[in-house]
Amino acid sequence: MKRILGVALGILTAIGGFVDIGDLVTNAVVGSRFGLSLVWVVAVGVLGICLFANMSGRVAAASGRATFEVIRERLGPRAGLANLSASFLINLMTVTAEIGGIALALQLASSVYYLLWIPVAALAVWFVIWRVRFSIMENVTGLVGLTLIVFAVALFLLKPDWGALAGQLVPTVPGQETIWTYSYYAIALFGAAMTPYEVFFFSSGAVEEGWTVKDLLQERTNVLVGFPLGGLLSVAIAACATVVLLPAGISVTSLSQVVLPVAEGAGKLGLAVVLVGIVAATFGAALETTLSSGYTLAQFFGWSWGKFRRPAEAARFHLAMIICLLVGIAVLATGVDPVLVTEYSVVFSAIALPLTYLPILIVANDPEYMREHVNGRAVNALGMVYLVIILVASIAAIPLMIVTGAGS
Amino acid sequence: MRNTPVSAPAAKSRPRLAARLWMLAVTALAVLTACGGGTAESVSTAVKDSSSAVATARIALRQDMDGKLTRAATSTTLDDELKEVQTSRSSVLKLSPATPEDRDTQKQALDVLDQCAAGFATARAALSAGDGGTPSLADGDKALAGAQDALKQLGDKVGSK
Amino acid sequence: MTSANQQLPIAPPVAGRILDAQVHLMDRQVLDHDGVPVTTVDDLEVSGPDLDAEIPPGTTAPVITALLTGAVLGTRIFGGRPPSSRLIRLPWKDVAEVGVVLRLGIKGEPLDASWVERWVRDKIIARIPGGRHDPR
Repeated sequence: MKRILGVALGILTAIGGFVDIGDLVTNAVVGSRFGLSLVWVVAVGVLGICLFANMSGRVAAASGRATFEVIRERLGPRAGLANLSASFLINLMTVTAEIGGIALALQLASSVYYLLWIPVAALAVWFVIWRVRFSIMENVTGLVGLTLIVFAVALFLLKPDWGALAGQLVPTVPGQETIWTYSYYAIALFGAAMTPYEVFFFSSGAVEEGWTVKDLLQERTNVLVGFPLGGLLSVAIAACATVVLLPAGISVTSLSQVVLPVAEGAGKLGLAVVLVGIVAATFGAALETTLSSGYTLAQFFGWSWGKFRRPAEAARFHLAMIICLLVGIAVLATGVDPVLVTEYSVVFSAIALPLTYLPILIVANDPEYMREHVNGRAVNALGMVYLVIILVASIAAIPLMIVTGAGS
Repeated sequence: MRNTPVSAPAAKSRPRLAARLWMLAVTALAVLTACGGGTAESVSTAVKDSSSAVATARIALRQDMDGKLTRAATSTTLDDELKEVQTSRSSVLKLSPATPEDRDTQKQALDVLDQCAAGFATARAALSAGDGGTPSLADGDKALAGAQDALKQLGDKVGSK
Repeated sequence: MTSANQQLPIAPPVAGRILDAQVHLMDRQVLDHDGVPVTTVDDLEVSGPDLDAEIPPGTTAPVITALLTGAVLGTRIFGGRPPSSRLIRLPWKDVAEVGVVLRLGIKGEPLDASWVERWVRDKIIARIPGGRHDPR
């Protein structure tokens, strides 16, 4: 019974932890402008993140080392540093976007201006990282984030024309958009689903929780069941926007537009639930990205790291995270629109994907670290396919960004 | 025998070729970025963004009247969408129209966007007036509906060019 | 001088493991006795004759005397190396195990190599309330 509960907890946490501000905003934008014609990208992205999260978890469980430590050792400092700079800067952008997301959701709930919520949100994130145990942190934010299921509930309550919705699943460019914006948002959606920080967090989290090869089955279940269900949540967000916002000619540019369909379908109760869910999901993601910043720096430079250690025993790790949060606050304090930061962060995540995923593929094939748990042939084949997809997306991102004016 | 390295010309031409490719790429990007200018197109974008904002505000007001949206969420939505309209207005203001026709389009666009902003002002006043006060939420919705019609007319005019 | 029918003695097996300094030692994590990370290996100190010096016959083979660590990020990327006085030594005699990571046989906290960690801990982290609280 206890085992079943443990497995259920792992899966539920993975579902609730899948969605972050990038998924919320990008799926809503895509749903309001392209209908469901980009849902296939979510499917491709979810399969990719399952593949690579599984690989990085296996690396950590089999070798006892987290990804970035191994990247530095296997690929040398120059390649490791290139990887680190790209990953770290994009991580920092994502931290900023997540904290902005928390503030925007709290503004929707309270009508207190979001800039006032930002220091509160950042302080809360820091405090949880400082004091709260890793497993409690993960489980609470994951479970509360599960309330985002209200998007699916609202979708049912809106009684859409299911046939028409299903018909939209065919990948076609809608009338009022161009092939360029379609491709640009395909890349953005891909980057939102295959967030790079997930990989660092997953493998470091495996070391934090002391996973061994015995936990590999649990880890695989969490990933293979939890993430696809999380992907379905993303599709529900897009579908809600399609049903309510697309017919009205609304393109999503703010978080308030993302929650309007839920209020339409489920009233004030649905609104309250979705705001709780957004705060929990973005808070959880803020924790994960901040910790990822700390993990990448500490693992590259060889510092002592980990939430399982006292802060006094991992001083530089915690100092780095404090500085990251301060930078995030500073950027948001300039008044830049957090939704804009989010939209850029997902595209830049897509650009950085080859740098973050290629090392994992290399390490997961190294018998010195993995012993008998090296990648099987099927996994490697799929990994190579995804490497090609990732490279195509990464190379096409900046030209598309220029041609479409960042999607407008 | 002259001490000229045989490979030198080839080595010199490679960086020169690379420099040429770079300049070509930069020029192409500059051309691509410059494309998409023009008053009509900027006004069209502003009209599209503002229509989206006004439509969102109307949905929010309707949901508030139906009791589906909290006051806090409605007021936040109105603030967000007003910001969107103001951004559109300032982008139209910054245009440098070349022909008298373009100048006329710009003036029309500014008038319509001002009407949108006025509609938002009515709506926000209605929110703070509370239920049964003046102006009412229905008044706010009517003002925004008028702005939406004006936007549609302007959009048709600019889009048909 | 050996005569034609005298067999050469069988070569002794190499005692211990053969390591490649670049692959197995450089950039590896150094953990202390309790498994706490100390630093990464940035360079190696090897005894024996200097470069460019004549090696007299009968000299003993060079031996690793210390692991070196320090601020080498710039030099590893752009080339060159800092002078030896700018690098911190971890004497080889303190290394207990060479595997995927290098383990020291001593505690890492009092070492010179940990001075930045000690400084950040004492001056910054310990001053924030709860810094010494055990999270488990």
